[in-house]
Formats: sequence, structure tokens, C-alpha cells
Amino acid sequence: MKDIERFRKRAIFHHWWIVLCSFLLAVTGLFMFMETLSPGAMGGYSRIIHRFAALGFVAVPIIYFVLNPKTSLEWLKEAFTWNTDDIGWLQAAPEYYFGGPEENMPPQGRSNTGQKLWMVVVIITGVVFVITGAVMMFSGVSGVAVILHDIAFIAGGAMFLVHFFLAVFHPRMSEAMRSMITGKASEDYVKSHHGKWYEEVVAKGEQS
Amino acid sequence: MAKAILYDATKCTGCRGCQVACKNWNGLEAVETYNWGSYENPKDLSTQTWLKMRFIEKGGTETDNMRWLFARQSCMHCTDAACVKVCPTGALHIRTDGFVALDKDKCTNCGYCVEFCPFSIPRLDASLISGIGDKATKCTACTTAGLNRIDNGYQPACVNTCPTGALTFGDRETLLSAAQDKVAALKSNSHPNAYLYGENEVGGTHVLYILDDTPKAYGLIEDPKVPAAATAWQDIIKPLGYGIVGVVGLGLILNIMVARARIISREEK
Ligand code: HEM
Ligand code: SF4
Ligand code: SF4
Repeated sequence: MKDIERFRKRAIFHHWWIVLCSFLLAVTGLFMFMETLSPGAMGGYSRIIHRFAALGFVAVPIIYFVLNPKTSLEWLKEAFTWNTDDIGWLQAAPEYYFGGPEENMPPQGRSNTGQKLWMVVVIITGVVFVITGAVMMFSGVSGVAVILHDIAFIAGGAMFLVHFFLAVFHPRMSEAMRSMITGKASEDYVKSHHGKWYEEVVAKGEQS
Repeated sequence: MAKAILYDATKCTGCRGCQVACKNWNGLEAVETYNWGSYENPKDLSTQTWLKMRFIEKGGTETDNMRWLFARQSCMHCTDAACVKVCPTGALHIRTDGFVALDKDKCTNCGYCVEFCPFSIPRLDASLISGIGDKATKCTACTTAGLNRIDNGYQPACVNTCPTGALTFGDRETLLSAAQDKVAALKSNSHPNAYLYGENEVGGTHVLYILDDTPKAYGLIEDPKVPAAATAWQDIIKPLGYGIVGVVGLGLILNIMVARARIISREEK
């Protein structure tokens, strides 16, 4: 069976880099969120890790953007472009992900609506984290900043659970993980999960 | 049994013995100061100054004689302590006697207490880059581990040293009723604005002030409140956060069980 490239190597690196930084940020953040975990803060030294991870969290996406402006902008455009197929997806998705039949799912682009929703959440919470975090770092804790930082943590954290679960455990997302590791997914998987994008890829292939 | 420190401003001479005794007992350094136009000195609390006397000059006109008002500026040991509410590590905690203690080993220097204390009492020094520095400090009513006077049967150092009896230490109930009598006497004796500060403020504080004028005249905060943001954050947003994450988690577990079963049963058909 033929494989189709879904992600380039550098996009994959970028993804896992953000995962690493977010993991460090979330763990060191949790030390300051839950009193039971606070011994992990080691009397405050965890906050240094939080700050260095924050630097990686901010710097690498900027570098990525500067080196790949075209694909980055395309990606941003994709995340924020929503149409009636997305509404249809949102209506059909609960049934589908609870194991229902596939017929009602509208064809999807390179990323499906749920994945786009996650991109939007990551972008918005990321911006909130960085702005409020930078305020706390450079001008001291402010009530507004720390509370917004918390809200972003709760919203992003809850959505992350869904993202992680779908990628790792959900039977319907059988090749999601493989495509974020090797960059490739089988033709069958792409056809059924990303129909619209599959058409584009085939059309492009025929042109060249 | 709830304890308290009672400060009687009408007996205070502004000698600052308490200020020095506090530094002495707690091993705090002298702070370099300058003349900023007042006998009040140093100008502000710091990690090395947990207690200072505020000097307020009133009057000084032809008709109004010059008067000095002294007021203790230090932790109020609130019953509804905003600092304890927001402290993420439990470093700040309320003792059974009502004093708000601080365990520096647990403190992470995050600064939340500094931001949310309605009296602007805690202080810390944090490096801009690392966030690390001198940990949070404030008056612990001499309950600091290793320097604990209270649990060894002594009065707080400031009370012990006060030469005029302006500071007393004891059961809050007892001090409160004595203070109420004193304020009533002041009121009927040409001090109509006399006030017992700390009786009801922020749930009742464990430092009480007998004032012969309004709190405002003494530079104290009128009607201090636990900041609404602290309450919203700790009592609404965070519990809601745990709730949301819990519901999502349960939903996902349910999802995998249902989805697996349905997909398998369809494949078997
Ligand atoms: C995925 C990204 C991030 C996560 C999950 C995260 C999470 C957290 C959490 C949970 C806390 C504990 C305080 C609270 O209860 O709100 C916290 C504190 C803090 N975060 Fe973040 N954060 C992230 C990104 C950032 C970024 C990008 C910055 C800075 C540029 C930052 C700077 C801070 C600062 C300064 C604090 C206050 C404690 C301290 O001074 O270290 N965070 N973060
Ligand atoms: S005065 Fe400030 S530091 Fe002291 S107990 Fe009240 S809130 Fe905490
Ligand atoms: S600075 Fe220390 S005492 Fe103050 S809130 Fe943070 S951990 Fe608690």
C-alpha cells in the first residue's frame, strides 16, 4: 500500500519540541497549582525550569516561522478557515467517535475539524500563556495575569487530554500517531480520514 | 484558643523599641535609610523589616495643635487571610491560635501573597530572570521555626520590649473586651471617632488596634477586603478547573469503552 506524506520532518520536530516544552511547563506549573504536588517545586527551583521551558516554547516557533514563513502561514490559515463542512463534522463527530458509522462524516482537509479546533486552542492559549507569563516574569505577579494564566492552563489542559487520548488510544485514529512520527500515513487512511485533502494530493500528483 | 496582639495607639510614644526588638530576635539586618522628610524610618517594610512604626503628623496650624499619630505597620494575622488563600505551597498557614505562620522551606518565592495581601505586608526579592531570591517574609508573631517564642511560653519580642504597655499579648477574647471598654471610654471622652480596628476587619484580625481617631487618620486601610480576584481564583476558577478536567477524563474513559465495543460488534457482523 502506498504511503502519503502528511508532515515534513521539520514540522514533526517542531511538534515534538512543543510537546517537550509544554510537558515541562505543565509539570512545573502543576507544582504551583496543586498544593499536594508543591514539594516538587523544590523550594522554588522548579520555577527556573518553567522559565527555560517557556523560552523554548516561545523561541522555537518563532525560529520555525522565520525559516518556513510560507508553510507556517498556510498552517495558520488552515487552522482558522472554517466552513459548513466543519459544522457538519462537529454534528457528526460525537456519534462517529463513539464508534458509530462513518457515512455522516463530511470529507476533511489535511487536518480535520477537531484537529483544527485543537490548533486554534493551542494558538490562543499559547498566546495567553506567553503574554501573561511574560508579565509575571518581567513586572511581577499581577492578579489578572496569574488568573488568566490559570484559565489558559485549565482550558488547554482539558483539551490536551482529548488530543492525547485520541492520538494514543482511540481506535479510529489508528495512523495519527504514526504520521506524527514518520510523517506518513497510508493511502487508505488518508482517503477515509482526509478525503478533501486526498483529492488535492491526487490532483497535484496528476499535474506533475 | 485564639491569641492576639493588642496595640493601643493612645499609649504608644513612637519609640520604635518593637521595631528594633523584631529585628533583634529575628536576626534581621539594619536597612540603610535617608531623611525623606519624616521621622518614620525606614520608609517601607522589606525582607529585613517586618514591623515598622508609621508616623503621621496632623494639624500644626494656628487653631489645630500639631499631633503625632503612631500606627504599627506589620502583618495583621487575618482570620480570612488572603495570603493563605493564594499561597500554592502551604508555606503560609493559619495556626490554631489564629496567627498566620510562614514556613520558608516550602515557600517558592512565587509572590502570590505579595500581590493579594490587602495590607501589602509580605515582601520578597526575586531575580527577574530566575525568579529566585530572598523568600517571602513577614511577621509570623514570633512563630518562625527555630525562633518560636509563642510555643515556648514567651510573648512576641515586640510585646516583650514595649516600655509603655502599648503592646499586650494574650487571649483574643480577653484583649477584645478590654479594648472595647477602652474605645467606649475614649468615645465618651472627647474622641468621638475612636475605633477598635481589627475586631471585624477581614474576618477579625489577630492584631487589634485601639485608635482615638478613624483608621484613615492613622493611615490604616478602611474596610479591607480579601480581593475578589483571590476568591474568584481559588474558590471558583480552580474548583471549576478540577471539575472540567474530571468530567473530560470520565468522558474519555466512557468513550473508549463504548467505541471499542461498538466497532468490534460491527466487525463481527
Ligand atoms: C504551555 C505553556 C505553559 C503552561 C502549561 C504553564 C503553566 C503554569 C502554571 C500552572 C503556573 C502556576 C501558577 C498558576 O497557578 O497559574 C504557571 C506559573 C507561571 N508561568 Fe507558566 N505556563 C506556560 C507557559 C508559560 C510561559 C510561556 C511563560 C513565560 C513566558 C510562563 C511563565 C510563568 C510564570 C512567570 C509563572 C508564575 C510563577 C513563576 O514566577 O515562576 N508560563 N505556569
Ligand atoms: S495582613 Fe496580609 S500577610 Fe498578614 S495575614 Fe493578612 S493577608 Fe496575610
Ligand atoms: S511567595 Fe512563598 S509564601 Fe508567598 S504565596 Fe508564594 S509560596 Fe506562599
